[in-house]
Amino acid sequence: MSAAVAVHTTSDVPTAGEESYFTVFAGGEAFGLSVLHTQTIFRITSVTPIPLGPIDIVGLVNLRGKIVTAVSLRRRLGIPVDEVHNSLAIGIEHKGENFALIVDEVGDVLTLDASMKVQIPAHFDPARSRFMAGLYKVGNLLVPALNIEALFDFAN
Amino acid sequence: MDELLRDFLTETTEHIEGAETQLVHFERNPSDMSLITSIFRLVHTIKGTSSFLGLERLERVGHAAESVMGMLRDGVAPTQHSVTIILAAIDRIKTIIEEIGRNGGEPPGDDSEIINALEAYYAQGSDTAAAETSAKAAEPAVSEQAPIAEVSQPIVEVPSVSAEPVAAAAAAPSQPKAEPAPKEGKSDAQPKQGGSTANQESIRVSVETIERMMQLVSELVLSRNQLLELARHREDDAIKTPLQHLSTLTSDLQDAVMRARMQPVGRLYANLPRLVRELSTSLGKNIDLITEGADTELDRQLIEVIRDPLTHLIRNCADHGIERPEERLAKGKPERGEIRVSAAHEAGQITIDIADDGKGLDTERIKAKITSQGLATEQDLRSMSNEEIYRYIFEPGFSTAQVVSNVSGRGVGMDVVRSNIEAIGGSVSLSSVEGKGSRFSLRIPLTLAIAPALIIEVAGQRFALPQTSVVEAVSLGRNYKDLIQNVQNALVLKLREEVIPAVELREVVGLSATSESDESEKLAVVMRVGTDSFCIIVDSVADIQEIVVKPLSASLAHLKVFSGHTILGDGSVVLILDPAGIAANLGIEKSSDKKREQLRDQNALERRRLVMFRAGSGAPKVLPLSLVSRIEMVETSRIESSDGRLMVLLQGRLMPIVPISPEIDMSRPSYPVLVVATEKRSIGLMTDEIVDILEEKLEIQLASANSELVGSAEIRGEAVELIDVAHFIRMADPPSKSGTAPQRVLFAADDQLVRDMLCPALSAAGYNLVATTIPSDISELFNQFTSFDAIILDADAPALQVPKFLQALRDRKDAARIPAIGISTTPNGRTSRIATENGMTALLSKHDRHTLLETLAYALDAAADAKATSMEIAA
Repeated sequence: MSAAVAVHTTSDVPTAGEESYFTVFAGGEAFGLSVLHTQTIFRITSVTPIPLGPIDIVGLVNLRGKIVTAVSLRRRLGIPVDEVHNSLAIGIEHKGENFALIVDEVGDVLTLDASMKVQIPAHFDPARSRFMAGLYKVGNLLVPALNIEALFDFAN
Repeated sequence: MDELLRDFLTETTEHIEGAETQLVHFERNPSDMSLITSIFRLVHTIKGTSSFLGLERLERVGHAAESVMGMLRDGVAPTQHSVTIILAAIDRIKTIIEEIGRNGGEPPGDDSEIINALEAYYAQGSDTAAAETSAKAAEPAVSEQAPIAEVSQPIVEVPSVSAEPVAAAAAAPSQPKAEPAPKEGKSDAQPKQGGSTANQESIRVSVETIERMMQLVSELVLSRNQLLELARHREDDAIKTPLQHLSTLTSDLQDAVMRARMQPVGRLYANLPRLVRELSTSLGKNIDLITEGADTELDRQLIEVIRDPLTHLIRNCADHGIERPEERLAKGKPERGEIRVSAAHEAGQITIDIADDGKGLDTERIKAKITSQGLATEQDLRSMSNEEIYRYIFEPGFSTAQVVSNVSGRGVGMDVVRSNIEAIGGSVSLSSVEGKGSRFSLRIPLTLAIAPALIIEVAGQRFALPQTSVVEAVSLGRNYKDLIQNVQNALVLKLREEVIPAVELREVVGLSATSESDESEKLAVVMRVGTDSFCIIVDSVADIQEIVVKPLSASLAHLKVFSGHTILGDGSVVLILDPAGIAANLGIEKSSDKKREQLRDQNALERRRLVMFRAGSGAPKVLPLSLVSRIEMVETSRIESSDGRLMVLLQGRLMPIVPISPEIDMSRPSYPVLVVATEKRSIGLMTDEIVDILEEKLEIQLASANSELVGSAEIRGEAVELIDVAHFIRMADPPSKSGTAPQRVLFAADDQLVRDMLCPALSAAGYNLVATTIPSDISELFNQFTSFDAIILDADAPALQVPKFLQALRDRKDAARIPAIGISTTPNGRTSRIATENGMTALLSKHDRHTLLETLAYALDAAADAKATSMEIAA
């Protein structure tokens, strides 16, 4: 666990049925990332690219002596990559593997509950909707929650 | 388990291995009293502690052995017989201790035979001793109470050559002297002394703790390197000195922790004297064993990997190398042959040499064998050095022994020796002088976790290349055009007289050339995988570093050209190239295999190596050679009967013997025995005669109501029967859980070999196994399900790769109750996930019997629990 992120303060401990999400941004769009998955937030200083590896995997990163696989959220969602937004990463352990999800920015913590959930519209691009665990209405904003499972599945 | 008991077990297990060696040494050097004293002490401690812990069998065996050892300690000369019965007792103690380790208590059993043999010897020996030393009657030997006089029947047969009169019934009715035992008090004090000094020298640390320390040290090294990097750019002397100090300390600490994982090679030597002793006896040769460099240290993981190859090479030296005594004398050599095993540290590697002073290799015969097997032509051979020719000895199926002996000569094993050693990044070579002897040299890396690697650069990116497979690096520079040629659109390196396949690493990893890559710095790195050489062309070699190998994570595991990744000293991450993966990528297969295949018919791949033998009347029988770990010639006189089962003592272990046919009546002096290793131990299948080892396509007509056969097949126009090993394993090892019915397991796999490999292990573990092929309609299989407690499925079978199968798996009603375990040749993160998400209990490797057995047991337990719970709810 990193000291960089204080996930829970006493006031925003979610009650039953609620879950806390970080808002993360990629290409100007906001997404929810469950705090339960999140281990640390850090800046990547150097990446080792993996030749022949999946295109969405940016490379390998040394995170305090651990080798983590860095995945670009932009590439995953088909958003063009730029030179600026390529270093802020969220450390996530998934199925025994260490990943770093590269995002543009990390915003506030949202508390989402089931009542805010809306159906994912059928016309969403399946290439994108497969990375969504659900769509939530926050005020007048629609925030998709990220599906970690799909995000880090490189089976194909 | 009781803390006290556990301590006792670990301590005893450790010491008892040493005891065997010491005993064999003592037999050779009876004057070295320190040896027998220390074994005596050990057995005495075992006896004492067992009686304290209420372990009666151990106590009784220990007591009987102690009396005989007491005699030896008091100056009675050791004989082959006395040493053999003590070894048998030590074996029994070992077996019982192993059982206690597994079950937490002493297994029931009868040791009276061993005890009787010891007591008979003791009674007879003390009689003689008493007669001889009647003058010293004031100090009589420790003696037994009356009942031993009734004892007769030695169980361990004494070879007739032994000068010692057989400790037979005639000797038993001696008059034991019921004297008090004045020695007891003295020997009581000794074990305590020995114990306390041992305790001060070492403490027990769990492997986990050491691994954790390794991790921490690695990170410490990393931080140190970063600090050094920072300090380099700063002219601050106040920091420099302490930093230098920190740096040295860190290196020392890293070294110390690495060392803690190391163990002396001496652990490997512990069993060798006994092995050589038994080989000498069974081969009728006189062989001395000399071991050197026992304190050379090696990673503990590696010690276990080397054990089998080493044993095999020693057997080979004893059998093929050393001549019979009369032959040796005729050649003017000393009568006793010598096998020398020496270990040494050499350039970051360990070398272990196994040398004998026997007859050496017969180069001509090897050449003849090479040509007759079609491995090379005579022309090829003419241009080869002896070393190159000897390399063929490590090819599968290669043996020059003209007479097949019980020890070796079936060409089983030398290829296994090579593949085992190469699997850990080592190599094996052979040199020989005809008439003078031969020498096997094993080169083994110090540790698996840390490997020296070349850090190479290509297209601006660095990669690590394990040094173990690198033969040489050739600077190309301005000679690029001369050395590397493009032939038929493929690159080759012309090096000296050789033509070596070459490839630009840049192309292998799919990187495009950067403008700054300097042609003149380019190198060709020549590598060897198995027997094949190839080379990769790189931009430069940046460094040589020791790297800590970490495997690739699941999402990258499909990249075959990389074997892992690592963090270099400067904190950067690099990928580790896998030479075998690159070779496969280039389409380089094992060229010798290819040659051989060309020389055979197209069905070569489906051929299987079989051992053909006769047992009783009827058709000859066959067994896949993959199931047979070795073939022994067992003398009938060495076979003992215990609990109605036949046993033989082989290499210090009792092995059950099952005659394949009831017609084998033990009337002959010896029988060939196929040794089959099961999960728990080896069993021996007794045959009448080994006919041949052959490689044939096996089309089995399944079948037969006869449970000892899998079915029949036709080989070279003759009908043969494929025997069912599982049946014989059950005969040797009836399932111990007699009260409960064995659990029924359905084993569905199309590959006969997989079934051959796994079914015996499962049967031996006490499951009632039904093996079947996979039907085209998978739901048919699931319909059979209900009558089984568990199912094991070959997930590689084509029928299983379709969604329909997964659907059927998901849909089965009894999913929660009946565990389904998938097995696959190469399970990976992805396939495991698919399997478990669709209702499989687990997806395991076909090669890992151990995990399969564990998982099965666990799943069955869990299923039984679930059943019990649901029944409770229903009630």
